[in-house]
Amino acid sequence: MGITLDKTDKGAAMALAGTIDIACAAELKTLLLEALNSGTEVIISLADAADLDVTAFQLLWAAERQARQSGVEFTFSGQAPEPISTALAEAGFQQFSTSVHAG
Amino acid sequence: MSVRGAKLSMTGNADQFKNAFREEGREVLVDLESALLELNESRGDLELVGRVFRALHTIKGSGSMFGFEELAAFTHNLETAFDEVRNGRLQIGSELIDLTLSALDQIRAMLEEGAAGAAEADPAACAEILANVRRLSGKPERQPVKEKAALSIADAETPSGAPKGEMREWAIHFAPGPDFMLNGANPLMQLRELRQLGELSVTPSMAAVPPLSELDPERCYVSWEMRLETRAERDAICDVFIFVEDSCEWLIQPASNVASNSAGTAPACAADLTATALEEKRVNVGRRATDKPDNASSLRVPAAKLDQFVDLVGEMVTVQARLSELAARRDDPEVTEVSEEIERLTSALRENSMNIRMTPIRATFEKFRRLVHDLARDLGKDVELTIEGAETELDKTVIDQLGDPLMHLIRNSMDHGIEPRAVRAADGKRPTATIHLSARHSGASVLIGVSDDGGGIDAEAVRSRAIEKGLVAAGDPLTEAEIFALLFEPGFSTAKQVTDVSGRGVGMDVVRQKVESLRGSIEVTSKPGAGTSVILRLPLTLAIIDGLLVSVGDACFVLPLANTLECIELTREDRKRANGRQLANVRGELVPYISLRQYFNIRTEPPPIEQIMFVETEQGRFGFVVDRVLGDCQTVIKNLGRFYRHVQVVSGATILGNGTVALILDPERLVHEAVRAIVHGPRGRPVAEAGNTGRSKGRQVIAA
Repeated sequence: MGITLDKTDKGAAMALAGTIDIACAAELKTLLLEALNSGTEVIISLADAADLDVTAFQLLWAAERQARQSGVEFTFSGQAPEPISTALAEAGFQQFSTSVHAG
Repeated sequence: MSVRGAKLSMTGNADQFKNAFREEGREVLVDLESALLELNESRGDLELVGRVFRALHTIKGSGSMFGFEELAAFTHNLETAFDEVRNGRLQIGSELIDLTLSALDQIRAMLEEGAAGAAEADPAACAEILANVRRLSGKPERQPVKEKAALSIADAETPSGAPKGEMREWAIHFAPGPDFMLNGANPLMQLRELRQLGELSVTPSMAAVPPLSELDPERCYVSWEMRLETRAERDAICDVFIFVEDSCEWLIQPASNVASNSAGTAPACAADLTATALEEKRVNVGRRATDKPDNASSLRVPAAKLDQFVDLVGEMVTVQARLSELAARRDDPEVTEVSEEIERLTSALRENSMNIRMTPIRATFEKFRRLVHDLARDLGKDVELTIEGAETELDKTVIDQLGDPLMHLIRNSMDHGIEPRAVRAADGKRPTATIHLSARHSGASVLIGVSDDGGGIDAEAVRSRAIEKGLVAAGDPLTEAEIFALLFEPGFSTAKQVTDVSGRGVGMDVVRQKVESLRGSIEVTSKPGAGTSVILRLPLTLAIIDGLLVSVGDACFVLPLANTLECIELTREDRKRANGRQLANVRGELVPYISLRQYFNIRTEPPPIEQIMFVETEQGRFGFVVDRVLGDCQTVIKNLGRFYRHVQVVSGATILGNGTVALILDPERLVHEAVRAIVHGPRGRPVAEAGNTGRSKGRQVIAA
């Protein structure tokens, strides 16, 4: 379980691994803010994530909204594992899940 | 699908949550147990079936949420059975109730697993229970019992199986509250459970999500509008929210009420929802009100914190008494004013803090339903337990210590009091015997009663047994009450046979010890053939009492105000007239008295006029001779410490306003001891003349 943030040329790449839930929500928020302030592009990888809960969904959603407003490109890279896309679909975040899949 | 991945993984807090769940679980189990036993008596009561089902559902749901998967999976099967009952497909019978009761014990063991000294759940017993439950509910083995890891709620079959009702569409609004996630709940669980009921379309609302920088990461801002097409009843949908209902907003209403377009996939229209929200809210609130009458605004506080609080209030009362005395000495109006204000506030604080400790005796009483049920089965007797005054409130400390004595009394009643079926039938009695538990207030005391409609106590048998044991002499004239009091002597038992249940003569002795340590008393009445009634008279509180302050020489004593009756003067002439006998003439009645100066060996000269303070005790009226009666006082009882634990005539000590220590006397014990010292020779031989010197029964000492 963990969140890693790497600087890239244009901004930041963030990788979420393991279970991302309320226990690391505060950390996720701090890192997302840092990523958004680091350049013009944020890439999130969910490839190694095992599970996301609602706190993670809403943080990613808020981060995407902020990125759109401030002209930062916010994308998901790689395929999200099946449990996550299912959970997203279950919670009604279809749009979100398509962007995750499209990533 | 990873349901459990989403369950609590805040490892730091996990233990805390588990403990919280254990605590909640224990309460739910108590409720479940009493619901089951009530159901046993009124089998057609659907409300009770609902209560059982909801309790099981709560345990299952919260259990899986907090990582008690084994418990959740086990409970799930019972829940399924009761769902069958709820839907009228399964009849309630003794077997199902007994099975569920034994399952309850296993659930309890699983709940406490890991806690120190807890009994472990027995997997074999669990498997057997489940097999039987399945056989009863006609559900073939769909879930392997032992594979606990393979079980999860999401994979488990729907509790409502295939609901038989008409297909309907419901609009559901679900908004988790701010603490929802922090409490360890996960909104996705509710969505998943709803999905099991039928076709669900979900529209999340992100409107409440604030900008990232302002977002509280641990709070759930998302809410959902849903459409559910299902054959399940409204109750089944409500059940999904049972164990989160206090921490979220939810509304369930027929979709046709919400919007005319019946397209299930259309997002719920917010405006329409608000339009009918008020009406539905009422429904929702009304439902909650019947489910949990007093849960909404209560707070769970560890008992230790409460004790500390009461201790502090006690100190406060002591200091306030000093302040009052100081103010009285200073004669400064300003100081007096402040002191009086503090006195008023302290008194209110004291009363309030005492009130906080008051809890209804219900939980203690309800606990015995199970005992009565199990014992009745073991003894082959039909017994029903009736409860009266369960809302009566008592100090928590008293309630905590009442369990044992009540258990012994009930066991005794069940075993010795209530006759076997055949005997009852021969006597023309109702085949089902009754044990009645009651509680009511009486002044500063609470009366707890355990009565049965059994055979009553054979006073002669008790008497001859007591003579045989050497507790009384063969010629002693004893009243009935005195004979019954012998039952509580150590080692006394009239039972011809020692059974598992009682008869070893240990229990009743324990009852007396316990009750006396709570500064209470026991009263037994019995009618041959009609039954026995035991009344425990207990003080409302143990921490602070209203007392009467008296002095002898330089020493101060406190007598509990509840015992005191009146006060008369005792002059030297009176003493002389009495010819050395310690009897006072109170309106024509001779009442014995005890000189505290003599008893405590205080070597000062008595004043010319002493005071006799009369008190009411179990053994009748008695007087205590003191020098002066100083007035009433609110007294915080302090323990004397273990060096004095054998000094029984003193129930504690208190610190007075001037800083000196006063002993709090226990009138019952004092009279008991004083009479023993007077009546018996140096080593317990009754003095010849003792026993019939007057009308007061006080001198007829029995049970010494």
